[in-house]
Amino acid sequence: MKVNFVFQQPNLPPLVELAISWFIFLFGATGPIVIILAFVGIRGFLHITRFESGEGILYKLSPLTKLIIVISTTVAVSLTIWWFGAILTLVFWSLFFTLNEAKRKVLYVSYLLLSSILGVSTGFAFYTPYSVLQMAFNTNTLNVIWVWPSYFSFAGYEPYLTLQALYYGFQITFRFTAPMLAGLLLILTTTPSDLMRYLAKVKFPLPFIFALTVAMRTVPRIFDTLDTVVKLQLMRGLGYGKPSFLRPFYVLIAGLYGLVPTLIFLMKGAKYTAIAADTRAFNSTPRRTYMKEVKYTKADYVAWGLIVVLFVTVALLLAFGYGRGIPYVGY
Amino acid sequence: MGFNGIGGYLNRPGEIPVEVIIAYFVFALAIAIILGKRNGGLKAFKTVDWVYIGIGAAAAYVWEFIIGAIIGRAVPSGLSNFIDVGFWGRLFIVFIVAALVRKVGAGMITLFLFNFFSDLFHYGFSGEPMYFIYESLTYGLFVDLGIAITGGKIFGIGVTGSTSKVVALAAIEGGIIGFLWAFPDPIFYGAFFKPFLYGGVVNWSRIIYDLISFIPGDVVIGILAGLASNRVQKAVQV
Repeated sequence: MKVNFVFQQPNLPPLVELAISWFIFLFGATGPIVIILAFVGIRGFLHITRFESGEGILYKLSPLTKLIIVISTTVAVSLTIWWFGAILTLVFWSLFFTLNEAKRKVLYVSYLLLSSILGVSTGFAFYTPYSVLQMAFNTNTLNVIWVWPSYFSFAGYEPYLTLQALYYGFQITFRFTAPMLAGLLLILTTTPSDLMRYLAKVKFPLPFIFALTVAMRTVPRIFDTLDTVVKLQLMRGLGYGKPSFLRPFYVLIAGLYGLVPTLIFLMKGAKYTAIAADTRAFNSTPRRTYMKEVKYTKADYVAWGLIVVLFVTVALLLAFGYGRGIPYVGY
Repeated sequence: MGFNGIGGYLNRPGEIPVEVIIAYFVFALAIAIILGKRNGGLKAFKTVDWVYIGIGAAAAYVWEFIIGAIIGRAVPSGLSNFIDVGFWGRLFIVFIVAALVRKVGAGMITLFLFNFFSDLFHYGFSGEPMYFIYESLTYGLFVDLGIAITGGKIFGIGVTGSTSKVVALAAIEGGIIGFLWAFPDPIFYGAFFKPFLYGGVVNWSRIIYDLISFIPGDVVIGILAGLASNRVQKAVQV
């Protein structure tokens, strides 16, 4: 199908256009990195992936209920129009206010959200072929808002940035953000041992639950260890004397170098975890007993009610033609 | 609309016939079961092996979706096919887990847990259980085949002989498994799972380009990962 381009880009001197194109190219590629490194940092990830006890409503829900919320959210956003995903994103973002030390967590997760929106939007908008946009928006007319230098095509860019491509990228973002926030909330408000008990209840094999528990405990420890390894490398002179604006790149390089030392450190500790589990007769029988009984509270029943409401809303949206408006077909 | 984001499209232009895919996965599953039974199955795994697998799955998730993803954004998009920091990190970490556990099943279970974590933190279980099957029985199985074929002496670990022989074995085995790791994404995902889940058209010139552009990097990183796994295993066992 032939594409009709309506050129609406600003009329600027060629040099200014070139400078802006390169700025957008660099901002599109490095913007999310700068946001994450400058504001969240490696230690910031530790705070938004580590359980800390609290009193909010989410701490009272059973892990299974929270897992069902994560799965239901994914199903809901994958079936419905983009703004429903945006609403769910807002709902989950608001729930961060109910957490322990909410202010810091909301701040970190907001930076992460902004970075994800920028990253995913530009990740899709600049590269999406026009044929996909034609299919997604059911139109042959695309509004050009920027013309890239022709050599940008070597980096995979489409020749023109269109308004429809920006919409496409932005709307797709909410397919990722809502489940991402729901997943983080689950991790932040659930102890690994709680999750273990509930997964055992639904007959998940015990060794898998154990490995999963170890993995859950390991995620924040990875950030902690990697942060130390990165700082040690910087202390030993990596990037010393270089301009300060290059610092984030040296942090990235240190992160790259830090992979193997981090793994060795974590794996060396594995035998102590194994000894600790074995001395408690782990895996000596196919099933084990738990001191704490698995129980569901009033909060769980309310949450299940809300999940039903979520699916009823999805069904209504689909019935009224607010289903998946833009197909996620990638590029 | 399908179920859980699975469109179930079977006849998209260029899509690999479902019979071929089913034949592969039935065959892969049979191999996994046979190898598993021959080597004692999950019962052969000690507690420490499960800890290694848990740590490996978490590290692979953190690297591919957070740290590697951030570093990867600094790579110009035109080169991202050749330089995939996130994926290479996963390859590195899974190889190290395989070197530490050295029992058939380590690869598949690590990939299964990695996939679980990816869903929990990132994707939200959309398209499942297809990704569990895909990740475990392609990437995971290739690593386990390496373990089975070498009789648990993967990457030259436990092989008696000169250092150069051990180093050569680690590099060759790492390179071969790295080479195999270049195939699942373009062939299984690009030419079947992606159209099966989301529809669209399979662009075979893109698939071939992806495959060819993935191979050099995956082989080189596979060799390095094989060598590193051998060293890490020694460092951890001390």
